[in-house]
Amino acid sequence: MDAYDSGSDATQGAKAAQEPQAPPAPAVLPGMAVDSPATPVDSPAPGAPPGSPEPRTGVAALSPRYQIGAALALAVVAVAVCVHLGMVFLHVAPSNTVTKTHGEAIDDWIYPEFEQNWKLFAPNPLQQNIAVQVRAQIRTPDGSSRTTGWYDLSAQDGRDIDGNPVPSHTQQNELRRAWDFFTASHDSDNRAVGLRGTLSETYLRRIVVLRLERGGATGADGVVERVQVRSSSTNVDPPDWSTEKVSSQAVYRVLSWWSVLPGEAEGDVK
Amino acid sequence: MNRFTLSVSAAIARVTESALGPYQSAMIRIGFSATWLLFLLREFIHRGELYGPDSPWGWELARQLIDTNGAFTLLLWSDGRGWFEAVYGLALLSSAALLVGWRTRTMSVLFMVGVLSLQNRSVFMGDGGDNVVHLMAIYLVFTRCGRVWSLDARRERRAAEARARGERVTDAVGPVLWGVLGFALVVLTATGGFHSAWTVPALLWAVWSCLGLWWVVGRRARSAEPRILLDVIGNILHNSALVVIMAEACLIYATAGWYKVQGSRWQDGTAVYYPLQLDYFSPWPLLGDLLTSSGTMVLLVTYGTVIVQVAFPFTLFNRRVKNVLLAVMMLEHAAIAVILGLPFFSLAMIATDAVFLPTSFLRRLGRWAARARARLFSREGRATVPEPRAPENPRPSHVGFEA
Repeated sequence: MDAYDSGSDATQGAKAAQEPQAPPAPAVLPGMAVDSPATPVDSPAPGAPPGSPEPRTGVAALSPRYQIGAALALAVVAVAVCVHLGMVFLHVAPSNTVTKTHGEAIDDWIYPEFEQNWKLFAPNPLQQNIAVQVRAQIRTPDGSSRTTGWYDLSAQDGRDIDGNPVPSHTQQNELRRAWDFFTASHDSDNRAVGLRGTLSETYLRRIVVLRLERGGATGADGVVERVQVRSSSTNVDPPDWSTEKVSSQAVYRVLSWWSVLPGEAEGDVK
Repeated sequence: MNRFTLSVSAAIARVTESALGPYQSAMIRIGFSATWLLFLLREFIHRGELYGPDSPWGWELARQLIDTNGAFTLLLWSDGRGWFEAVYGLALLSSAALLVGWRTRTMSVLFMVGVLSLQNRSVFMGDGGDNVVHLMAIYLVFTRCGRVWSLDARRERRAAEARARGERVTDAVGPVLWGVLGFALVVLTATGGFHSAWTVPALLWAVWSCLGLWWVVGRRARSAEPRILLDVIGNILHNSALVVIMAEACLIYATAGWYKVQGSRWQDGTAVYYPLQLDYFSPWPLLGDLLTSSGTMVLLVTYGTVIVQVAFPFTLFNRRVKNVLLAVMMLEHAAIAVILGLPFFSLAMIATDAVFLPTSFLRRLGRWAARARARLFSREGRATVPEPRAPENPRPSHVGFEA
């Protein structure tokens, strides 16, 4: 489900351009009262309750020359805030007239640090359980090799999450999002699209090898030679009180066999 | 026209002379730092697999991806285990220090560095909760979020008292911290340690320079004006950052709500049933079955969710309605934490909601906390600490959120 994904799939090629929150140097003068190395002797006490009578603060206490500086800072920050909020709005809004013509400027502003996706379970929640399964060809020391059955890695994640009040990202996100990343960066014939496609293949392969070894699938001193990954999508049964009918047959997407590099098989996944 | 000019100048005075919402900003500081700290502690045993040398998202893969998007992370400086442990440790310590408000501004910067470094190192490990913390960590840097409920506030109060007694107050920790961080910045910049787009490193340099400038101006300036100007600019940045944080919260709810309106499952009133049936989001399958056993209940929760999310930004114009909705949303997030097994996402969202809590409620919360602490200490054998003074609550306290 990409309901909770941060949608990083779109970072492709985007480069950060400007720092919306950091207007030119003179404006970035954060109120350091609280942790300034030494607080000026008669500064307005930062811990004081708001609204306590502090004579002569704010622009009113400044001479015209300094007031211009303050006004300038206010103008720069105000513009920066408006631009930033506008950019974020356009980034989360559906594709529209403005985003179609100025998409690049928006992406330059948003990526990489302000990327966001709040389509939480929307427009529709995921209605399928998508399980990633793997089988492996194991080479044993005597030179023979055998092919294992299919291991359901997502089911293992599901078991780890069951009854767990604080599921780890390694259980809830790692494999699930790696599969999302794979499908988003491959065409329907499972061909990699661009750099992200190849990155996602390496990533997915390392995850499944890691889990096969952790699960003891290799036996005493076997080595994983090749792996094959498939996904199995099963519709969630409609609720009891509904009259809907959906097929409960699993639909598979089977990838080709991948050779495992020597380093990966030994868990050296740097 | 004259009235318009007057109200504009009043508004300018308001945003320049003080940092608004001290309790709200302290609340989000505590909320986000606690969320991230608890997350780091929870994942401590998995840290190597998530962000470190044991990760299937290997250092080399991360480098290739970041080469294309310029995201900020310290972890590309070296692929060694020692460096990784140091950065993880920095993230842990800075969130703890930010939580208690020790050297708040500096720690908010280190907190941001920790969050960005880890999350950007392994961007595919995160979810919506990480996304919220990521954004808010950046925005928090611009706020004066340590003015209440912080060690800084206590230090400030004690220094003021000491000065009132005519004592000389010196602070050695600040300059030392500043010097150490300056050294780190120089080393990282010189060795190409940032490995990212220029924006975040520029922000780090800017904050560091400003901290130095603030110190110099406070100490050396002959007139009070440069200091007041810096104070004014600090207030402007703080108030703007609060606006951005609130707007961000509204965008989150508006996006979540408006996209749902278009979905057939949200229209036919069954949407809430489905996430509870997914293996990845059902830690308590029996509880999920129980909650979705009635179609009418599911319909009510489904429609209620959409209504609350779509409506929230507009209710900000009415305090009473806003506070009711705020309570509803916090409760819903607390429920999501348990039912969908998303505790850190929910904590982050509750922390975001907290920026809208009314001041009177937050002050009462502060007094409760102070009283609880006093009681705790007295039970440990110390003399009972007197009730904290409460001059700021002249109103009779009736239940709930009244601000």
